Amino acid sequence: MPTVSVKWQKTMFPAVEIDTSQPPLVFKCQLYDLTGVPPERQRIMLKGGLLLKDDADWSTLGLKEGQKLMMMGTADEIEKAPEKGPVFVEDLPEEEQVVAVGHTAGIFNLGNTCYMNSTLQCLHSVPELKSALLKYPHSGRSNELDQSSHLLTMATRDLFTELDKNVKPVAPMHFLTVLRKKYPQFGQLHNGVYMQQDAEECWTQLLYTLSQSLRSPESRDNPETVKALFGIDFVSRVRCAESGEETSETESVYSLKCHISHEVNHLHEGLKHGLKSELEKVSPTLGRSAIYLKESRISDLPRYLTVQFVRFFWKRESNQKAKILRKVDYPLELDIYDLCSDELRQKLEAPRKILRDEESKKFGLKTSEKNTDSKENDVKMNDVKMLDTEGSSNGGGEPSTATNQEGVPSDKQCQLTGVYDLVAVLTHKGRSADSGHYVAWVKQENGKWIQFDDDNPTLQREEDITKLSGGGDWHMAYICIYKARVVSMLPSSEIGKSVNVAEAS
Amino acid sequence: MTPEPNPSNGGTREDASLKVPSKDPKKKKDEKKEEDLSDEDLALKQQLELYVERVQDPDPGLQKVALESMRQEIRTSTSSMTSVPKPLKFLRPHYGTLKGYYETMKDSPEKKFLADILSVLALTMSAEGERESLKYRLLGSDGDIGSWGHEYVRNLAGEIAQEFAKRQMEEVAVDDLMELVTQIVAFHLKHNAEPEAVDLLMEVEDLDTLVEHVDATNYKRTCLYLTSSASYLPGPDDMLVLDIAYMIYFKFEEYPSALRIALFLDNMQYVKQVFTSCDDLLQRKQFCYIIARHGYTFEIDEEITAVEDEREALQEIINNTKLCEGYLTLARDIEVMEPKSPEDIYKVHLIDGRASAGASVDSARQNLAATFVNAFVNAGFGQDKLMTVPSEASSGGTTGSWLFKNKEHGKASAAASLGMILLWDVDSGLAQIDKYFHSNDNHVIAGALLGVGIVNCGIKNDCDPALALLSDYISKEDSTVRIGAIMGLGLAYAGAQNEQIRQKLSPILGDAKAPLDVIAFTAISLGLIYVGSCNEEVAQAIIFALMDRSESELGEPLTRLLPLGLGLLYLGKQESVEATSEVSKTFNEKIRKYCDMTLLSCAYAGTGNVLKVQHLLGQCAQHLEKGETHQGPAVLGIAMVAMAEELGLEMAIRSLEHLLQYGEQNIRRAVPLALGLLCISNPKVNVMDTLSRLSHDTDSEVAMAAIVSLGLIGAGTNNARIAGMLRNLSSYYYKEASLLFCVRIAQGLVHMGKGLLTLAPYHSDRFLLSPTALAGLVTLLHACLDMKSIILGKYHYVLYFLVLAMQPRMLMAVDENLKPLSVPVRVGQAVDVVGQAGRPKTITGFQTHSTPVLLAAGDRAELATEKYLPLSPILEGFVIMRENPDYREDS
Repeated sequence: MPTVSVKWQKTMFPAVEIDTSQPPLVFKCQLYDLTGVPPERQRIMLKGGLLLKDDADWSTLGLKEGQKLMMMGTADEIEKAPEKGPVFVEDLPEEEQVVAVGHTAGIFNLGNTCYMNSTLQCLHSVPELKSALLKYPHSGRSNELDQSSHLLTMATRDLFTELDKNVKPVAPMHFLTVLRKKYPQFGQLHNGVYMQQDAEECWTQLLYTLSQSLRSPESRDNPETVKALFGIDFVSRVRCAESGEETSETESVYSLKCHISHEVNHLHEGLKHGLKSELEKVSPTLGRSAIYLKESRISDLPRYLTVQFVRFFWKRESNQKAKILRKVDYPLELDIYDLCSDELRQKLEAPRKILRDEESKKFGLKTSEKNTDSKENDVKMNDVKMLDTEGSSNGGGEPSTATNQEGVPSDKQCQLTGVYDLVAVLTHKGRSADSGHYVAWVKQENGKWIQFDDDNPTLQREEDITKLSGGGDWHMAYICIYKARVVSMLPSSEIGKSVNVAEAS
Repeated sequence: MTPEPNPSNGGTREDASLKVPSKDPKKKKDEKKEEDLSDEDLALKQQLELYVERVQDPDPGLQKVALESMRQEIRTSTSSMTSVPKPLKFLRPHYGTLKGYYETMKDSPEKKFLADILSVLALTMSAEGERESLKYRLLGSDGDIGSWGHEYVRNLAGEIAQEFAKRQMEEVAVDDLMELVTQIVAFHLKHNAEPEAVDLLMEVEDLDTLVEHVDATNYKRTCLYLTSSASYLPGPDDMLVLDIAYMIYFKFEEYPSALRIALFLDNMQYVKQVFTSCDDLLQRKQFCYIIARHGYTFEIDEEITAVEDEREALQEIINNTKLCEGYLTLARDIEVMEPKSPEDIYKVHLIDGRASAGASVDSARQNLAATFVNAFVNAGFGQDKLMTVPSEASSGGTTGSWLFKNKEHGKASAAASLGMILLWDVDSGLAQIDKYFHSNDNHVIAGALLGVGIVNCGIKNDCDPALALLSDYISKEDSTVRIGAIMGLGLAYAGAQNEQIRQKLSPILGDAKAPLDVIAFTAISLGLIYVGSCNEEVAQAIIFALMDRSESELGEPLTRLLPLGLGLLYLGKQESVEATSEVSKTFNEKIRKYCDMTLLSCAYAGTGNVLKVQHLLGQCAQHLEKGETHQGPAVLGIAMVAMAEELGLEMAIRSLEHLLQYGEQNIRRAVPLALGLLCISNPKVNVMDTLSRLSHDTDSEVAMAAIVSLGLIGAGTNNARIAGMLRNLSSYYYKEASLLFCVRIAQGLVHMGKGLLTLAPYHSDRFLLSPTALAGLVTLLHACLDMKSIILGKYHYVLYFLVLAMQPRMLMAVDENLKPLSVPVRVGQAVDVVGQAGRPKTITGFQTHSTPVLLAAGDRAELATEKYLPLSPILEGFVIMRENPDYREDS
């Protein structure tokens, strides 16, 4: 019976006797006692790269006294493949890759169409508009709508869905054709090439068309989707200094204009400026034209506030739209409370209070602690609800159509606060509106900013977004979309209570 | 010698002056100047003129005195070499006279005397190509050659060389010259002019005699000159020179140096001779360390030592079993044991300008990249944050272990990466890989097999665990499993020339049913196992396999591994390849040229042969129209041949720049890879800049090759500049998965072994080229020639071929019990001291550290204490320190 030494991992079993009359399996059992490795997991190696087989004959192996053997094997649990393997980006169908990539597709430039691409990307960032478009009937336009508007709406809808589905850039051929059919000015040629156009014009025209077409009879409770989303109502007082007569009028627009003059350094100043204007009209009392002073206030706020920087003006001498390069800062968070009319301010008071509490809670100030228990409960409940709305819109998995469909009608419960968050910026780079380059910067549902430079979306940092304020030759903001920050409110009795509490405290 | 036709006085004088017309105006000037001479000089001049006259005196007595005095004057005036000694100057006008007179003289001692003086005068007077100095020297009295000064000897040596060449042509006896040569060589060696002595002996093709001439004081410098001149000599002189160097070292019992040369010559006899001649056990252990670093398979037999214990101890060192331990000691000393995760390498937070995209879904390709990064960075440390973490930690989550975060063939690389992490640690490596053997996923099994090969790379073991474990799998059904086992064998037994494995693998090459990828990897594995062996049988097997391939198979990207496997057999073996290259001319047109280039470049790899570089450059100058692919290996070949020494390397870098400008796309794609090989683990700034530029190339294949090469030149250096470049590239290419994958791989390479490893195949003061290391690198680079279908396809595990070249870049001093020892050493940039006078400093800009210490490319270490004596002259790798018996502690 030869004695051998067996090396297993770092340990050495110096004197193991081998009963050569027994099959090697017996020897393996011996080792099982020593190491705890079951025989079927053992691999025993002899000199010269021989593996000991269970049915081997010891005599043929030329075993020598004191020979060193090596054993490999562990009693470890064998790693099992997880039943459901991980899903890889590479395996996903293209539309699902969108989620993984974290942003939607870019749009190819079809020859000076960056004005259109950037406009589309900005509008595409409004989920409510998307869902409204989805509900737009495929066929059978309503009578008051002309054929080309119908087609343009259809094209917009198709393009938006295509953008959501793809990772690779999309070519908006059909949309462009339809747009040029509806608005021939976008099909202007210069030296045989399509001309660059003003993005703001494209924006306005497209939104106008959509506001016409999305006036669908089905959604009766909210007949004008576009107006609900973007419309801003003004109430203006027009006063004549000379006669002292005063009239009041209302109007509705789709965007706030930020007029840029020498005093304007900040968006807020520009907006305020734009609400005051002088006009000349015939005064009925004086019987001649006189200077009237018009002061406007916002009487109704939209879900999405569009701000246009009036950077271009028609310069007669050069016969083109010249650009004001002045730097106008704009915030990521815009509060337009002081642009609102008194009635609206009153309406905003309660939601703003809740919002403030939320924020101070977030910063750990816990002002509400002093308040009564019931108040705290309210806040907590509000808190939960707010989280819900946030959660659903951030739940990146599904395109947020589902939540938004509810979102629009539930508008009544979700109260606006007059505070808005920046979600999209359309910028222009260059010296005149009809030249240069338009780019869209859009905040995604996951909170990341993407620069859509035609077919090339790139990730950007939030702090770089505010640097698009002009004052140089870099991209500068032309149109901004702000999204309303909302709080969900409890039934009115409770609102009253909380308002009372607020007043009391 | 040309006989003088005209013995008359006047005739010769005229002759002389006619022959050197250019000197005439000078002469006039001299005459004009004569008035300006100082009194002393004037006296000397007149004295000499008098002697000249006297020499022509018929009285032998007077003649003798005159000659004697003249000789005296000349000898005493051996002034600096910058100006002509005065006596020589004044005697110049009389050279012709004396020469003429000499011819008329009868044979006598005086005549010989005069011949001596003429020989010296000819130093300045003799016309180019006349070799009169030599002529008169041979006619003169064979007095002490050195008595006439250095310059004379040097001139004479030059004339001998010319004369020798002429006589060789005419097949005239050279015995008289050889006698002179002996004298000159002895003189040179005595006067610290070893290079001149060696040069002369080389010119007269009599280097053998050098061994007799050298003594203990000058053999080192002589050998240094011999070894470093070897790379500039044409064959077979280079081998001869090294042979002589070996003999000299051997004669003076400088065994470690003799061994280095024996290894360079790949001469088993010499290696054995060194062992048998040296009976100091400790010294022998040092030999074993040197052999182990070289990756040379060598068996200590009874002939070397009869004592079994000793034999075992020596064999253990050669088997590299302690490499892992030493490496970990180094890691602990430098405090880098803490495992690093791929994120620690990517350092995303340092990238500015663009936010990072936190993808919510795993990308298989990025996970695969992370697998490789993790494997390279934690190579050999035995712990990491992905593969060796206890499974309990991950089993709680639904994700499972990292292995299963890889997809299909990615799992093979992931499983194999465990082998990389446990590199060289065979015992725990096998234990940890074991669990994958029982998997039911073929990819995992393939990875486990490959992992076993990686763990055993460079380590030998009596039980041959790799062979035992892998050989059952090479004929399995699934080709992934087969490739895993075959490649594993190739890695574990590279250079082993193991007959048993050959018999198992060769049949696969002839198997008509075997898929192409299996055949390709078999060819490479056989090439690796028999690297540089010129083994006929393997060559035959691969040649037949190549001939059996169908036309379409020859177009497959993996087919390129077949000629490469063939080439590896002849790695560095120069002419031995010729028979095989003849055979390769009969191959299918599609592969013929490719094979030709591969064979040529492999055979001359590491020789620095300028002619071969030119030949390869010539191939690249052609503009191809039929889409041939042979220019890629030709470009790589330039790098392989030229990497031998620094000068050729610089020239190759410049030539490659030209190729970049004028070459076609397939050449441009190979250039970054060639640069990567030339500067492997040696980040030269100019190459770094070139590669950085190419990494933004519009051709994505060029960019990919450049990115990988950035990783190669920075491999194991932690170079901050390259790391920064790669970080920027990672944000530049964040959307392009293939390029990003390359960037990640390169990042992993730069931080390979956390900066403790090198990929350089050269070691031992950049003298020895480890054939297995070079083979590994070349295999990877050839695979990189078609990045898209091999590395970015499903054969990404070819990256593991790099393991063959991975070595710790350390100096580890060990005491007589082979335990790590801390001794102070100076580490600095190596200085080339070949042929320099005196005792020049060998390093510059040094810092003093204590061992173990890291050595960068081009660094040299020297001991900063006299307390120990190193047993190897080259302080690299493991060096045994013996206590200096003469050492006295300074108080």
